[in-house]
Amino acid sequence: MTARDTILNAVLAACPAGDARAVADAAAALLDDPDSSRPPLAAPGLPEAFTLKATALGASVERVANMASVPEAVARYLERHGLVGLSVQPAPALTALDWTGIATHDHLAADEPAALGLALYGIAESGSLVVHSGPDAPILLSFLPLHHIVVLRESTLLPWLEDYAARLEAASVPRNAILITGPSGTTDIEGSYVRGAHGPGFLHIIITGTDDIPE
Amino acid sequence: MNVALPPFKERARAALADRTLKLAIDRTTGTAEAKRAAAVAAFPEFDAARARGRAIKDHVIANLGHYLEMFERNATASGAHVHWAVDDAEARAIVTRLCLDAKAKVVTRSKSMLGEEIGLPHALADAGIERVETDLAEHIIQLAGETPSHIIWPAMHRTREQVAELFNASHQPPPEADDPATMVQSARRVLREKFLGADVGISGANFLVADTGATCTVTNEGNAELTTTPPRVHIVTAGIEKIVPSTAHAMALLRILVRSATGGELTQYTTFHCGPKRPGDADGPEEMHIVLVDNGRTKMLAGEFREMLRCIRCGACMNHCVVYRQIGGHAYGGTYPGPMGSVLTPVLDGLAAARDLPNACTMNGRCAEVCPVGIPIPTLLRAWRRRSWRERLEPGALRAGIGLWAQVAYRPALYRLASRIGVRALRAFGRDGWIGSLPLAGGWTAYRDLPRPSGRTFMEQYRDQQKGRK
Ligand code: SF4
Repeated sequence: MTARDTILNAVLAACPAGDARAVADAAAALLDDPDSSRPPLAAPGLPEAFTLKATALGASVERVANMASVPEAVARYLERHGLVGLSVQPAPALTALDWTGIATHDHLAADEPAALGLALYGIAESGSLVVHSGPDAPILLSFLPLHHIVVLRESTLLPWLEDYAARLEAASVPRNAILITGPSGTTDIEGSYVRGAHGPGFLHIIITGTDDIPE
Repeated sequence: MNVALPPFKERARAALADRTLKLAIDRTTGTAEAKRAAAVAAFPEFDAARARGRAIKDHVIANLGHYLEMFERNATASGAHVHWAVDDAEARAIVTRLCLDAKAKVVTRSKSMLGEEIGLPHALADAGIERVETDLAEHIIQLAGETPSHIIWPAMHRTREQVAELFNASHQPPPEADDPATMVQSARRVLREKFLGADVGISGANFLVADTGATCTVTNEGNAELTTTPPRVHIVTAGIEKIVPSTAHAMALLRILVRSATGGELTQYTTFHCGPKRPGDADGPEEMHIVLVDNGRTKMLAGEFREMLRCIRCGACMNHCVVYRQIGGHAYGGTYPGPMGSVLTPVLDGLAAARDLPNACTMNGRCAEVCPVGIPIPTLLRAWRRRSWRERLEPGALRAGIGLWAQVAYRPALYRLASRIGVRALRAFGRDGWIGSLPLAGGWTAYRDLPRPSGRTFMEQYRDQQKGRK
């Protein structure tokens, strides 16, 4: 008998299989009335609630009118931190922006100083950013840089973790889906919190609104 | 896993005598306890969330076969290879063979207690493969040649000063100062070089999502992604009880897991891995393997320890345990320390080897109070004590003593007579209202004094009082 059969036989001997339909219904019922067991949002508006949570975790957040204002905001951030050069995620929404004046590149060095990425969603409940792997979304972009700058479109903000779960399961699940909740950190030495363990020590989030700029 | 350790009592005595250890334990568990309390206070729905978490785990356990098959089907469809291991030896052999097949010279590992449970560190060393622990705490204990002393903070038995000594001896160049921030930077620099050159990355899983076939891992440092993304092969080892029906069920459990573990709302990184690199993907491993491990879990499912399968490994029970906080994790001698370890170690290492653990408990119930999935740990520990008695594992003198006591206790008149003599005799050893030493009871009185009894038994006083009422 294979290990698989040994294990499944032992499992089924202890807990006989139920009707698949009934099991699915019971699983769905376990998620009824989600409000009764999740925390309220930190503020009534999604961007405000998200910002309160993310900043409490040590991220910095700024809001700009629209995507076109992103390069300017990034330039200010780089200058503030004395950074030159920026690795930009090869996502069309970012590469299509006007990067005049900033030395951008698309590769990632092992000790990349700063990188710019695009979040797929933001989750207001926890101040989390969602990134998915894909052809134009290297996962290491969120982990190698010391400064991780992320563009979050206000229209992609979701209230709760369950709302993201529903989005994830409705689409085809990517190889890697990550909820990023604050900059990297550790409490492994005497329980004291230190920022920037293996991942980014700085997380800067630029929330873009939908205002059109008059051309 | 633990060969030739001294008996539990000796280990506990040594731990109690180690003042530095006590300092280190207090620093981490104290912070953890305070942060959890704050997180729970800020989440009025916590009890409802706990009830939901418990119901989800019970539902999965009752339908485990259904969900395991569903997970296997979906993980396979995503391109992952699913392997099954009946015990630790089989799991070690599968992982080692996968590493050798990949011609791995260097393997990076992201913290996984299951990896410790199945003895992976030794197995990789025996196969001649260089293992790089990437979690900061695991890095510390790898340098020290130790095992984890806590399931969330594996290096919590080491003070900052002791960590500095280790880093000074092994980091090139050594860290410039011994504050945690500087030492973390030093580890970041040293390990960064290792991540990108590894052939295989091994991680664990907090959840296995049945309806997508994804594995879910929570970390704070970012080392998990750096471990699982660059190498050509990614291996996940996970216990079969880690299944959840869907991503939404995982989210419900994450809310209580992280608050109970660190007092945070979510860890910095919550990662779902689903199969190997897709065509066109910018990065990711070419192969993904998932090893599903039983190692005693189906035995628990069939018996009186089924409820323990709800455990989501948050560590709250040890942070709040008066015994753990005195002796730390290593004294327990198993892979899993503290209250949850005292239930699990007899399953994993056998009751004969671990029968002291269920007895090293005051039954104060703090663990069950804080457990996010409502595991009645004291009840389960009592079940081990009963079984230990049934299987006659207690030393002869203890069995004889308890047997004698039972004979007396079965006869109320005799029992009352014996206690009348007893309390009067005890009075004779009292000084200034306290008993500081007693013949044959040195093990007890060495650490504590007893109040000198009043000289009359409860029954005598009760009878007098009843008479007075009439
Ligand atoms: S027994 Fe409960 S408190 Fe202890 S680690 Fe498991 S889930 Fe956490």
